[in-house]
Parts: sequence; structure tokens; C-alpha cells
Amino acid sequence: MNKTSSLSGKRNRERIVNSVCFVLVVFFSALCLLPIWWIFRSSLMTNNQLYSNNVPFFPPDWLFSNYPQALKNFPFWTYLKNTMTIIVPSVLAGTSTAVLGGYAFARMRFPGKRFLFTLVIGSMFLPVMVTLIPLYIMWTNILKLNGTYWPLILPYFCGGGAFNIYLIRQFIMTIPRELDEAATIDGAGHFRILISIILPAIKAAMIVVALLLFTQMWNDLIQQSLYIHDAKKFTIALGLSQFKGSLKQDYSAIMCATCMSFAPGILFYLMGQKYFVEGIALTGLKG
Amino acid sequence: MGRRKKRRNALLRSETRTAYLCLIPSIIGLIFLTYIPLMEVFGLSFFSWKGNGFSGFKFVGLNNYIRLLTTDPYFKQSVLVTMYYTLMAVIGSMIYSLIIALLLNRKIPARGFWRAIFYLPYLLPAVAVYLGWNWLYNINYGLFNYIINRVFGLPRIGFINDAKLVAPSLALISVWLAGNLIVIFLAGLQNVPRSYLEAAEVDGASSWQRFWFITVPVISPIIFYNLLMALITNLQVITPALALTKGGPGSASRFVSYVMYQYAFENRKFGYAAAVSVMLFILIGIFTVILFATSRSWMFQQGGDDNE
Repeated sequence: MNKTSSLSGKRNRERIVNSVCFVLVVFFSALCLLPIWWIFRSSLMTNNQLYSNNVPFFPPDWLFSNYPQALKNFPFWTYLKNTMTIIVPSVLAGTSTAVLGGYAFARMRFPGKRFLFTLVIGSMFLPVMVTLIPLYIMWTNILKLNGTYWPLILPYFCGGGAFNIYLIRQFIMTIPRELDEAATIDGAGHFRILISIILPAIKAAMIVVALLLFTQMWNDLIQQSLYIHDAKKFTIALGLSQFKGSLKQDYSAIMCATCMSFAPGILFYLMGQKYFVEGIALTGLKG
Repeated sequence: MGRRKKRRNALLRSETRTAYLCLIPSIIGLIFLTYIPLMEVFGLSFFSWKGNGFSGFKFVGLNNYIRLLTTDPYFKQSVLVTMYYTLMAVIGSMIYSLIIALLLNRKIPARGFWRAIFYLPYLLPAVAVYLGWNWLYNINYGLFNYIINRVFGLPRIGFINDAKLVAPSLALISVWLAGNLIVIFLAGLQNVPRSYLEAAEVDGASSWQRFWFITVPVISPIIFYNLLMALITNLQVITPALALTKGGPGSASRFVSYVMYQYAFENRKFGYAAAVSVMLFILIGIFTVILFATSRSWMFQQGGDDNE
């Protein structure tokens, strides 16, 4: 009797704790969205309204016409096209080379494996800023590729980043080896196994890697600003910086441009969201 | 016997060939994009070079370092500013992301939706984020002064235009961007065995005790990983200076990476800038070593099963 009542008391308490947590989650996510709201709300107002002494929380009238107006001076579609010219081949190449590398480390025996793996893990902790200058000298003075997209794309054909190789390796190691062994007995080679067994099983991890590579380039400003100088070749990041410099106080237009550049990343995430979270969860990031 | 051994050797050889075939891209990257440049930056730091052809190299020994540590007007302060910023950004984003992950780990409706909201800032291009926040921090018309002044009636704050507040203000943006840490924490929390928690509850452990003695040890490797990555990322900070503050006001946001950038790409003193890179490398190295050394005392080691 006593025991059941304490049990139901406990259940009640858990329900209360969960409700409190839910309220906190709603509160924090409202806080988290507030900056985005303010930016969006500013993009729908005139500069007079933005700079009035009576700062409104909601736009007085929702001026979506600000967007076509901003597009006249901010060639968003050109910038998006340029950005994608860099990102699409880089993401594809980075993901493929990371899968190949991760597969070799997870499933094959070969001399020098431990040493190579140590080099890969070591490079995870190497700050990219430290190698910025020698790489700039290599791309500019030796390979003469300054002014092209190659210095931004080619690195992704070379391994796709240590962390991504590691992630794929961890993921492949969770797949039972018996599956490969059965395929080997049936006469399948390493590449057949990779394509028919491993790839379908690591779809989630590949999407995680693709999204990580995407955000890495999406957030980059320094590399792009070092290698691209021609306004026709500008990416979103470069276009935005320049747009801000040229407009100074026209915050209505700047906020339109900012909101436009928010959109592609959000779309990309929504497409892969299901796999993305599953992927991170499954790898567990241990080891 | 002998024949079987031969066959095994042939198999191993073919496996080696396949493995190296798979690893060629990574090996090229490791050699030419990581380890050789790392050696080059050390080498370059002993020279003076203006970037004008390869005949212009002049060996200067340790002079670059001596100048950096004695007469350089920016370097010493940049180290302090970077450490100050990093301290706040790392502590802030670790606490924020752990709290959000713990909340999201409860049984709440539409968890995926809320998780997506907290992850959202991480997906926005950095330049757009800094432009947006520049406006949010505006002294007269920004969101924060709207809240401070309109809602609470307190005096307005200068944020990034105030030399004292620029580093904490930029650190706050970095906390807001910590969505990736939340996702990784959440993945770790889902690995905490429910049976342990339930057993402890039966034994009368309070929820605080359960958190401290079960959840924290189990996720301690993930805390370590997040801490390390947040530390390495934030010590290299450059984008806010590049996109927004240009190191100002004064030198209050002139981070080490930005000093390096200015010497290399604005003044074309590549040798001198390489010395700054090496100092940044050492700075990050010191923090990494400290973290690894102390981790033994607080990180819970599970029976290692995937040491290959």
C-alpha cells in the first residue's frame, strides 16, 4: 500500500520535472530565436522605421518588397551560384575520400596502418590557422592558382578532413564483420563489399560528413578572402562583407541580404536532418 | 602449410595495395596540406620575406621572435585578448550546451523540433551572423538595448563598440553558435544506460547524485572532446575581427590570428607573421597538453574495446 503510493508519488514528481523542463526548453528556444527574429523583422522595415526613436518589436507593415529591392544591389543568386561551385564538388570529393580512408582504417590490414592513423588523429588537433601562410604561399607563388576557386576546392580532394575519416571509421567498425566475410566467401572484392554492404549501412554517417563539410565552407571567410578578388567570383560570405562596406547604414537592405544568406543552410539541414542526428548518435563519438 | 602461408601473404599484399589505393588522397593531404606546411611555417619564421619571389629570403635567426616578445605593439595584448575571449566562449558554450542537452534529453514533446532550433544558429554563414549581431548590438536601435533600455529601463550598453565589452560580446555570439556541441552532448547522454540510473534511484540516490555520479562519469569523454574542440577552435578565432570589428575598438579584439593575418596579408611581412603562427601553435599546444594531462584525473575510463 505504502509502496504503491510512493511509486505513484515518484511518477508524479517525474511528470512535474518533465513539464518544468519543457517550459525551460520553450523559453530557451525563444531566446535562441530572438536574434533571428530581430534580423528578420528589421529586413521588413524601412530605414526610417528602423531608426525611429520608438523602436518597434514587430514590423509596422511587413515590407516583403524590401527583398526585390535589395536584390538590385546584392546579386544573391550569382553569389549563391559561385558558393555552390565551390561547395558541391568539395562536399562530394571530401565525403568520398573520407569514406575510402575510413574504410581502409576500419577493415584492412596493411603495414604502416598504426603510423598513418596516428598522423590522421594528430592532424585533427592541428590548428588550421597555423598553416594558413605556407598554404597561401604554395597556392599563390608555387602553383599560381590565386584568383581561382582551386585553392578552396582541391584540399577536399585530399582526404576530406581527419575528423571525417575518423567518424566514418568508427561507423564502419559498428557493422558486423560477418557480413563482409560472407561476401568475401562469395567472391566479392574490397570495392564490391564497400559498395554493396558498407555504403548502404553508413548512409547516415555520410550525410553527417557532408553536412560538416558544408558548414565548414559555408562559415569560411578567411580562405575565400585570400584567394578570390574578382567581384564576379564573390561568394555569399565575400559578397555580404562587401555589401556591408558599401552601404554603411542602410540596415534594412543589409538585413535583407543577411536573411537571404540564412536560407540555403537551413534548407540543406532540413533535407538531411533525420540522418544527421541519427548519424551523430550512432557513432557515439567514443574511442 | 607452405602453400597456405604463401596464399595468405598474397592476400595480405593485395589488401595492402587496396588499402593504400584508398588512402592515396588522404596521404597526399596529410603530407602536402598539413605536415609539410607545418614544417614550413617553422622554417619561414627564421627568415624575413616580403613575398616577392624566392630570392628575397633573408635569414634573421631568432630576430622575429625577439621582436615579437619585446617591441611588438600588438602581440602581447593579442595573446591576452585571445585567452580572455576563449575563456568566456568555452566556459559559456560548454555550460549552455550541456544544460540544453540535459533538458532535451528529458521526455518532452516534439524533441526533434526543439533540437533543430538550437542547432539552427550553427548553420548560418558566419559573416551573416556577425553582420546580424552587429545590428543587434546597435546602441540605439538594436535588440539588446531594446531589452535593456525599453523593457528593464537600464542605461544603454555599447557592446562591441566598448573596448571593455567587445570580447565578452563576441564570446556571447560564440555561445549562441554552439549548436553542434549540443548535438554531440545529446548523443552522449543517450548512451547513459537507463538501468544504472534506475538502480541508483531504487537505492535512494537523489537526482543530483545520479547526475554527478552516473551521468557525468559516463559522458566525461564527450565533455573532454567538446572542451578540447571548443578550446582549439576559439583560440584560433579570426572571423569576428575580419568581418566586424577589424580588431577594435583600439586593440580590444585584435586576436592572435588577426595579428598574423595583418602582418602577412596587409604588411606582407611573411616571415614575421610565420613567427606569430608558431606562437599561436605553441599557445594552443600548451592548452591542449594541460587538458590532456589533467583529463586523467577527471575522465572516466571505460574498458577500452576499440584500440586497434
